[in-house]
Amino acid sequence: MSRKIKKILIANRGVTAVRIMHTCRDRKIPTTAVYSTPDRLAHHVFMADTAVHIGEAPPAESYLNMEKMINAAIKSKSNAIHPGWGFLAENAKFAQMVIDAGLIWIGPSPEVISALGDKIQAKRLAQKANVPTIPGIIDVTNIDHIKKWMKEQHVSFPIMIKAVSGGGGKGMVKVGSKNELPQAFEQARSEAMKAFGDNRVLVEKYIERGRHIEVQVVADEYGNVAHLFERECTIQRRNQKIIEEAPSPSLDDALRQEICFTATRLMREIGYTSAGTVEFLYDTSSQNFYFLEVNTRLQVEHGITELITGLDIVGIMIDIAMGNKLPFKQSDILPNRWALEGRLNAEDPKTFSPSFGKITRLQVPQGPGVRIATGVYEGADIPPYYDSLFMLVIAAGADRADAIRVMDRSLSRNLRVEGVKTLAPLLLSIIRHPKFIAGEFSTRFIEERMDELISMFKEKNSEDEVLKIAKYVAEISALGPQKWM
Amino acid sequence: MDVKESIFVKMENNYIFVKPGMSPGEIIKAVRGLKGVCFTSVGMRDAGQSDYKNRHRIYDLSTLAPYYNNMGLFSAECHGGARWHVGVMNRRESPFEEINILRELMPDVLLQTLVRETNLWGYRPYPRNVIEYVVSRVDIDVWRCFSFLNDVRNMRTVAEVVMKRGRLFEPAISFTVADWASNDYYLKGIEEIIDLCSGTDEIILCIKDMAGVGNIKSISSLIDSIKQKYPDLVIQYHRHITDGLAIPALLAAAQAGARIFDVEEDSLARFYGHSPILGVQAYFEESGIPVNLHRKEAEAAVRKVREWIGYYEWAESPFKGFDHTVTYHKMPGGAFPSSFEQADKGGFLHLMPAILKVMSLYNRIIHYFDVTPGSQITWVTCSGIVNKYAKAKGEAGVKYLLMLLAKFIDEKSLNFEAMEKEEQEELLGLFRNAPGDFKNLILGHYGKLPMGWPPEWVYKSTFGDEWERKIKERIELSPLDSLEDDDLEKLRKELSDYIGRMPTEDEFILFLMHPKDALEMIEFREQYGESPLVLPTPVWREGLKKQGDRVDFELWGKPYSIELVSIGAEHEGIIHVVMRVNNKTRVYTVETPRAKKTEIRMAKGIGQIGAPINGNIWRIGNPERGALKVGDIVHKGEEIANLEAMKMENAIISPFDGQIAEICVKLNDFVIEGQLLFVLEKM
Repeated sequence: MSRKIKKILIANRGVTAVRIMHTCRDRKIPTTAVYSTPDRLAHHVFMADTAVHIGEAPPAESYLNMEKMINAAIKSKSNAIHPGWGFLAENAKFAQMVIDAGLIWIGPSPEVISALGDKIQAKRLAQKANVPTIPGIIDVTNIDHIKKWMKEQHVSFPIMIKAVSGGGGKGMVKVGSKNELPQAFEQARSEAMKAFGDNRVLVEKYIERGRHIEVQVVADEYGNVAHLFERECTIQRRNQKIIEEAPSPSLDDALRQEICFTATRLMREIGYTSAGTVEFLYDTSSQNFYFLEVNTRLQVEHGITELITGLDIVGIMIDIAMGNKLPFKQSDILPNRWALEGRLNAEDPKTFSPSFGKITRLQVPQGPGVRIATGVYEGADIPPYYDSLFMLVIAAGADRADAIRVMDRSLSRNLRVEGVKTLAPLLLSIIRHPKFIAGEFSTRFIEERMDELISMFKEKNSEDEVLKIAKYVAEISALGPQKWM
Repeated sequence: MDVKESIFVKMENNYIFVKPGMSPGEIIKAVRGLKGVCFTSVGMRDAGQSDYKNRHRIYDLSTLAPYYNNMGLFSAECHGGARWHVGVMNRRESPFEEINILRELMPDVLLQTLVRETNLWGYRPYPRNVIEYVVSRVDIDVWRCFSFLNDVRNMRTVAEVVMKRGRLFEPAISFTVADWASNDYYLKGIEEIIDLCSGTDEIILCIKDMAGVGNIKSISSLIDSIKQKYPDLVIQYHRHITDGLAIPALLAAAQAGARIFDVEEDSLARFYGHSPILGVQAYFEESGIPVNLHRKEAEAAVRKVREWIGYYEWAESPFKGFDHTVTYHKMPGGAFPSSFEQADKGGFLHLMPAILKVMSLYNRIIHYFDVTPGSQITWVTCSGIVNKYAKAKGEAGVKYLLMLLAKFIDEKSLNFEAMEKEEQEELLGLFRNAPGDFKNLILGHYGKLPMGWPPEWVYKSTFGDEWERKIKERIELSPLDSLEDDDLEKLRKELSDYIGRMPTEDEFILFLMHPKDALEMIEFREQYGESPLVLPTPVWREGLKKQGDRVDFELWGKPYSIELVSIGAEHEGIIHVVMRVNNKTRVYTVETPRAKKTEIRMAKGIGQIGAPINGNIWRIGNPERGALKVGDIVHKGEEIANLEAMKMENAIISPFDGQIAEICVKLNDFVIEGQLLFVLEKM
């Protein structure tokens, strides 16, 4: 079945929307941006061919408002919607609404989203497909339930409470002891309710020092499923990834084949279409990997896979949505590069406290081997209502060491962001850390070494210093000599 | 032939006879071996302190360093005294940075400091462990150390640390001309010094004439009697020029056997500092005393000063001119003009003649030397007394005060009992409002006074009914032996808490000396970086004035340029300044003192609960209890509010069992990190 996409509404903002628009521009497909009131002058609005205002700042009134989104598509004569990541990306109801409105949904079917979005169902599906899962209990309604399970299965703290509808690190709470349990349980449920409108949670054993490995899969409507190899996303802070790389430095070829094949098998059994990611937790000590979840959407870190394979995943999603067949076979996919991504969040690199405001100066890294995906321009505002990610810095090289060098150069010399604090100093400390360079790290890398990483922050650079001097000159010029003069 | 000649010329021009790295013994030998005398240039310290309130910036002073490096000086006094404190407080230059800059530009010159025994570079006695810590970490070659009481005991720790480090210790005796300050008195102090330093082979003795009162007769006779007793002792004469008779006194000292003299560039010399280097050299040579000085380099330095000295006119006192009456009141160097300025500011300039007169009488009642911190004690005490009389009884009151003191001192020879009953009463009120430092002084907190404790009536006058108890409290020990050590690690922790990071060693030492000013300087430098070091003085002082004005400078080996585009008009306390910084246009928002400030209360101390991160307070209370209000009891570990930031929830937890005394935010307020949310009272 072939469908023609005439114009795509991107139901998203910032880095996500801009990234999708790039491919649309390559394909000469016109785009529609949507924006909330504070995003009126945002980068993605300027990038699009048309833009529609969809409401006020709170996400529920704008980027999460399904009806307004559909109306905006109809109004702007868009016949397809790409949800990007976050917001409505894994919302089966929205996918169904898009289809019911006669529009093309660029993503997996609502049935698949719904089945995999529910962590309980997903876990069952994985078990059915013979994919190993983490020991745990599903559908937990009170803490006695958890205590009972722990006792019966001889599970000890820490444990993990996860929102059934969660994702992206939200609605996930690690519980270290019995005392923390009541409050953590409440917090997980409340966060889950707020972020996903569903307060069901499940509980799993916490795998200490696990590594987070995920496999990118693409599938068409004709049963063709291929993986684009794996990504390692172990470097996380507060359960959110901040550095990703492809391929994974923790796997040997045999394990790589096994994990990628397992992912493909699972997706084929599910009947998956479009692009999706199967996430695993890899326990280095036992060399076991466990199924975590399937992300039924484009992921933030898809860019590193694109760099090592030379493919355009957004383009593939559009092709599949138009009813085209995958243009390649599994055996055609031959990664020949190493790629590394750093997430530039507008956050204090020491405290992770959000740092929003105006980007008063922006100098974007350039030079060999660098790819930048930015959601902002110089002068743009970072509003407090949304995710703090505003730029992805992606570096590629012939091998891992090469990619790290490119990333180091990009972050340490070429990048300049003024007006907001960014994670750049932390990213730089991480990629310069001997353990990271040696590939020896776990999901707790940052929390275990925070002080050490902070101590590696370069205190001063002459660019910043000269601005302090300029500030002095400005003040004295305006106010006259200091009092004691 | 040619080669030989050029070597000869080089030798001829090489006046360098001492260098950093030489041991004290080697330095003393080199000075003794000189044909004639040599100089310490105070151009980088005391010159600026005496006539320019220590405003000379290292940016300008460092231009002299290349000349100093070839001049054949004994040393360059570039550190210490009040320059240290004013650097921290006003110029925002760290004395450590100054040393680093000078070491690089004049590696062959001995760097000299001036240190106030237990008071180091501050104004109060520091405990022994602080002195040891600081003195062992400051890279100075020559340590000139004085005591305003000539209490040699107080020098012990500085002497020990300096000598142990292999640096040169230069003990100074504070010198004045007074009936009680006899040669025997000074010789006794010098004997103690020589005991302390185990002989004369590794020290230089300085005669510190900070007011500039030594006349030909008194200084010749003192040096002569020292030389008779200690023929090998190298003597340096430090003499201010306020009385107008400095150069003849220097010559007299040279003829009596002093070997090193303090001088400054002719173009720096004014009225309260030191003699001009070229003039002194010429006068000495004419009088048959050879001077080790590369005259051409010294002349070049004198010319160099002219390039920038005009930038400091604002720092000079409006009260200029020599004044031989300094020999009565004995106010030292720069304290003299600045006392006039203070009087002017305080609206009692007309009382200055009376204050100076009272000072000259006061120093015959209580004997010590008017140099820091003594000079400040004298000034505050005497100006306070005169002001008190002026306020109470006007001009007649001041007249009466002068008459009373003159009668007591000149007529009755300080015999309290010989005064009339009412006059005694009056004297007993004289010091009643004296400053705390005066009280500390006569209670022995600084050390022992040169002529012993003041008479009893001074205590009655100062302390009233408590005088006997106070006399019993007098401390006979040196502060070195009476002060408890400070807890250095606790102080370091305190500093790191203030600044939110580990301080550098240099920052910690600044904090040990002047805590408040050091904190302000660290804050200044975090905001304005190296402005104090790289900006030319006119820009440092006034900024850029006209459109197109521009300042070029180098920072860390790279060129930078700041050009003014425009300064906007003030609007609601805000001025926008547009500048091109390295060709990129930038707009700076400058707040004037009229800017409206929305004050955000930050959490400080126990019981004040602050926001962990920036975010939105979406719940006050917790789901189990619902909303909380003032007066509610909360328990340790209980969630009392919840803050959401970028879709993550953060529980605010009560740190102890307590009662809510105040809720400082409203529901759905946006708060910043550290902002005060709750005040809890511990139960």
